[in-house]
Amino acid sequence: MVPGLTASLPALDGPALRLADAVGEGPAVLLFVHADCPTSLLALRRLPAETPLPLVVIAQDTLPEAARLARRARPHARVLVDVPPYAVSREWDVTTVPTAVLVRAGGGPGRRVVGWDREALAGLLGVALPDEPPAQKPGCGSRWTYQEQPGGLDELEDMFERGWSDGLPVVPPTRERVEAMLGGRDPARSLGRVPPVGGEATLERVAACAVLAGCRPEHFPLVEAAVEAALDPAFNIHGINVTTQPAGPIVIVNGPARERAGLNSGMGALGPGTRGNATVGRALRLCLSLTGGAVPGGLDRSTLGHPGKVGLCIAENEEASPWPPLHVERGFAAGASTVTVLACDAPLSVSDHRSRSAEELALVLARAAEATWSPFWWPMDDDTLFVVCPEHAALFAAAGWDKQRLRREIFEAAVRPAGELRRGETTPLVRESCDDESIHKWSDRERILIVCAGGEAGRYSAVFGPCDGMGTRPVTREVRWST
Amino acid sequence: MEYVSPLDPRVAQPVRPAPRPAGLAGRTVVLLDIRKARGDEFLDRLAELLHERGAATVRMAKETFSKPASGEVVAAVPLHGDLAVEALAD
Repeated sequence: MVPGLTASLPALDGPALRLADAVGEGPAVLLFVHADCPTSLLALRRLPAETPLPLVVIAQDTLPEAARLARRARPHARVLVDVPPYAVSREWDVTTVPTAVLVRAGGGPGRRVVGWDREALAGLLGVALPDEPPAQKPGCGSRWTYQEQPGGLDELEDMFERGWSDGLPVVPPTRERVEAMLGGRDPARSLGRVPPVGGEATLERVAACAVLAGCRPEHFPLVEAAVEAALDPAFNIHGINVTTQPAGPIVIVNGPARERAGLNSGMGALGPGTRGNATVGRALRLCLSLTGGAVPGGLDRSTLGHPGKVGLCIAENEEASPWPPLHVERGFAAGASTVTVLACDAPLSVSDHRSRSAEELALVLARAAEATWSPFWWPMDDDTLFVVCPEHAALFAAAGWDKQRLRREIFEAAVRPAGELRRGETTPLVRESCDDESIHKWSDRERILIVCAGGEAGRYSAVFGPCDGMGTRPVTREVRWST
Repeated sequence: MEYVSPLDPRVAQPVRPAPRPAGLAGRTVVLLDIRKARGDEFLDRLAELLHERGAATVRMAKETFSKPASGEVVAAVPLHGDLAVEALAD
């Protein structure tokens, strides 16, 4: 059988690409490699900046592995990814990597160079290669030949091979599990396209992500609402998914859904330990990275990321809170169940067992928040989340402070003269202001969100800095329980 | 075993790169500022180097760095030049 060029492969530098479009009219050269093969790495590093024939690298890897390979080798060529089960490599009968295959004009296969053979590859590419040893080096077995070994890969390893993971084991999304997750919902209904690659978030794909994440069917309405909220243009998930900032989405759940889905809003509310919290947030992340293509090191360009990007879902402890919950503040009925998505950095814990007045404690919270995003970047334009523990909330409530009063006091406490803020990364406002002009940490007090969560003993609150400058706003959606 | 894929196979939007130009002299290069901090400094220097090589430059800008360029900006870039450089900075 003559191998074809109709397959569509994920690309490291953009949307998936048909092989025919990658090689053009031909002739061209396909170079098959994989990330565990030192000879492949050698070949990629020796590729010239330009070749007379179009050159396309095909990596037999998962997307994260291919991204790591490209970062190490920095090849001067487009990299497409032949993910498991390596259909293109099988079709082209590539049993060793590296293998360079000439694609003739019109698409048929021509001669090939197997392993690293400097002279032969130079002849195929029509360009000189660096005159450095070794001149020849044997290659490695193609990935798909491993799968033919007796025993093969087990199901969980298969998920890693496909790249359907965030680095932790996942639950394989069998047809039966996905149908149970859907619970009769229309699998084709779309929640929208997920940036950056624009994969369509059909309920079936969202349910597959929920299965992978370890959700139970009673968690799915929360996942559905969270994906829907994240795709609201006001959230700007495109920017959040591709930014070099560490921030990721946090899901805040309010209302009866917390109990129905078995979420923990009490002791250890920020995790770990509760399946619902851990899996709902993880399902949203998997939808963003798999359906949306925001793969760390690929199109997710976050310099560091943060541990909460695996998934972060918290529930407000409405029972221990002296205040109206977040969803009521945002215009929903107290009996409604909602999810609110917010883009945040990792949390900064704030210990305070000594403050005896509301003013003193508000100052402590404000000082902690001053360090977020960047210590001299004042004001911040995007939203900061304070998770106030029940003991701290009780102290504020005893002083007669509601959430709005606490928001105002934190805002007023986080203020400095511009002259103190001209260090490192600061804002145009600070640079242009007189030394004694007062600058607040936030451009608007409404950029401060407050929820109450955590155990009833212990005085530890937390502040989540914003994904600043991203133009993102929190988005709340009501949870739909019916199908 | 049959699995339900979380991936959308229909995201393919092939874009074939245009052929590289033979030279820069007499060409007009659109310098697209994505509005990241100091992107303008990068493009200023690039404009100097392009002018030395005989190219003209036109400056355009995205609405904000944090979102994709609007359709208007994408459509306008080829109307104003033969080549384009998009600045990423910080």
